[in-house]
Amino acid sequence: MTTLSMKKPGTTKLARRKDPLEIIATIVLTLFALMIAVPFYNVVIVSITGQAEYLKAGGLMLFPTKPDFDSYTRLFQNKLLWTGYSSTLQIVALGLPLNVLLTFCMAYGLSRKGWPGRKLVFVLVLITMIFNGGIVPLYLLMKELKLLDNLWSVVFAGGLNTFYMIITKNFIESLPESLIESAHLDGANEWTILFRIVMPLSKPILATIVLFYAVDRWNEWYNSMIFLTTPTKFTLQLVLRNIVINSEMQGAAASSGAVSTAAAFTMGVKMCAVIMTMLPIMCVYPFLQKHFAKGIMVGAIKA
Amino acid sequence: MTTTAKRTPRPYRDSWGKRTMNAFRAHWQIYIIILLPILWYAIFAYRPMIGLTLAFKKYMPRRGVMGSPWIGLTNFENVFIDQDFMRSIWRTLSINLLRLVFVFPVPIILALLLNEMKAKRYKSTLQTIMTFPNFLSWVIVSSILTNVLAMDGLVNSLLRAIGLSEVNFLGSEQLFQPMLYITDIWKSSGWSMIVYLAAISGIDQDQYEAAEIDGANHFQKLVRITFPNLMPTIVVMFILATGNLMSAGFDQIFNLSNSATKNVAEILDMYIYRITFQSAPDYGLSTAISLMRSVVNMVLLLLADRGAKLMGGSGLFA
Repeated sequence: MTTLSMKKPGTTKLARRKDPLEIIATIVLTLFALMIAVPFYNVVIVSITGQAEYLKAGGLMLFPTKPDFDSYTRLFQNKLLWTGYSSTLQIVALGLPLNVLLTFCMAYGLSRKGWPGRKLVFVLVLITMIFNGGIVPLYLLMKELKLLDNLWSVVFAGGLNTFYMIITKNFIESLPESLIESAHLDGANEWTILFRIVMPLSKPILATIVLFYAVDRWNEWYNSMIFLTTPTKFTLQLVLRNIVINSEMQGAAASSGAVSTAAAFTMGVKMCAVIMTMLPIMCVYPFLQKHFAKGIMVGAIKA
Repeated sequence: MTTTAKRTPRPYRDSWGKRTMNAFRAHWQIYIIILLPILWYAIFAYRPMIGLTLAFKKYMPRRGVMGSPWIGLTNFENVFIDQDFMRSIWRTLSINLLRLVFVFPVPIILALLLNEMKAKRYKSTLQTIMTFPNFLSWVIVSSILTNVLAMDGLVNSLLRAIGLSEVNFLGSEQLFQPMLYITDIWKSSGWSMIVYLAAISGIDQDQYEAAEIDGANHFQKLVRITFPNLMPTIVVMFILATGNLMSAGFDQIFNLSNSATKNVAEILDMYIYRITFQSAPDYGLSTAISLMRSVVNMVLLLLADRGAKLMGGSGLFA
């Protein structure tokens, strides 16, 4: 490396003129970003458009002539939205600490060398990444544990993500070993090393895996669909699914234009539900984007 | 000579068993630290694998997994008789192979293009927008797309406004597969791009400087330096994608399909879901299929890994 400054590949002092390649890149990527952003904007617009105006104008509008929050009030009257929020928040609150504890303990253990069985444990852990029992044995296990229709089933099923664990392990291994060794010589035990030395030094990766796990927990729907049966226990995603997709299915199948009037929920209410479901991620993501990207880079480079 | 050699005392060395015991004793704290995660793996990852024995059993709810009688390979025989199963296998393979063709290259292209841009602020804004949908579930994404692609939705209203006929994007059998690729690109290619961006930022700057001295232009640098340096990352991502050929896309298809498209949407995982949770479930049968799927996935992964090594790459388990 000749340059110490953080320079982007391909840029040097020699290249100052705008290159045709750069112009093409800007145009293509802007179009791609618009293709992603416009549907989000449209969701917001539809959610504040009255049903009458939506039926007249369809989805093609920049802004409704008269913003109408009727859809929100109607959605908020739906009790399932709130029980959905409550279930999801409970799963996040119970699941995240469990995730972090399990992930860090395993990652730290595997990053320490010299204990008998380390290789075997690592191989057994890796096997679970490509080979698993599938949903039926897991369902029967939950049945045996008497956890069906209980939020704990969802919490435990997603207790540890092996991929995140390996990212964490790689990060811990990249810490200077001398720190851990000297702590050992000073008579620190493994818990002290893990919680007092490794954890504080691992803040970047901790931030990343907390975010990943939080998003996974928030987006949880499949396990809850399988394990939970009482509608008031359904997670937010499952409630959304029931509001939007299940009623939409009949609509799309009819393949005529008369979708929105026949369905139980209007498009406006559905889009309110979408917004309510993705709002937390949407608010948080732009600020934490860096941590997401960093984590995957650490994992990608080291793995 | 030999006598002097014998006289020097050999360093004392414990037996293997004793050494292991000592190592155990020296590291006992580590075993306690990994106890909880090990328990988790044992109960929630390995315990269900015992449940895989159901593949060779006739499941009887009253008698549980262990008590159900063994029936040998009958479940597997029954699976292969079912026409729906064979069709779902081919459908899964064709959808996911075409995914490799249409979806896999997109993040690479996006990364190469983003790397060409110099306006920093704008670049990171674009990156934020492009990576965002990846963090939404397919439930949300398909809800958003349902809105935009509905008969009254944005796209169809636009088509009508410019005088074209409307298209039933989500209710048409012909359009179902193309819609899968498009929506997959929409949701996840921005995020997949990050891995390639990371690889690009790790490329040695000297190569670019040398090329500039030789008078290379941007395009030549892109083709001759950036792209070859990306190859190892591309190979690893390709191997990982190959390992998923039999299982990719369940979340997406489960949420995007409807009764109008169910004939073209039944990939293997959808088939497993249908025979497991709808209409007279046969747990033995669906476990047999899950087992086969896992085995096939593993074989595909190992084959792709071997292939990458044969081509001179480093493979996954280097």
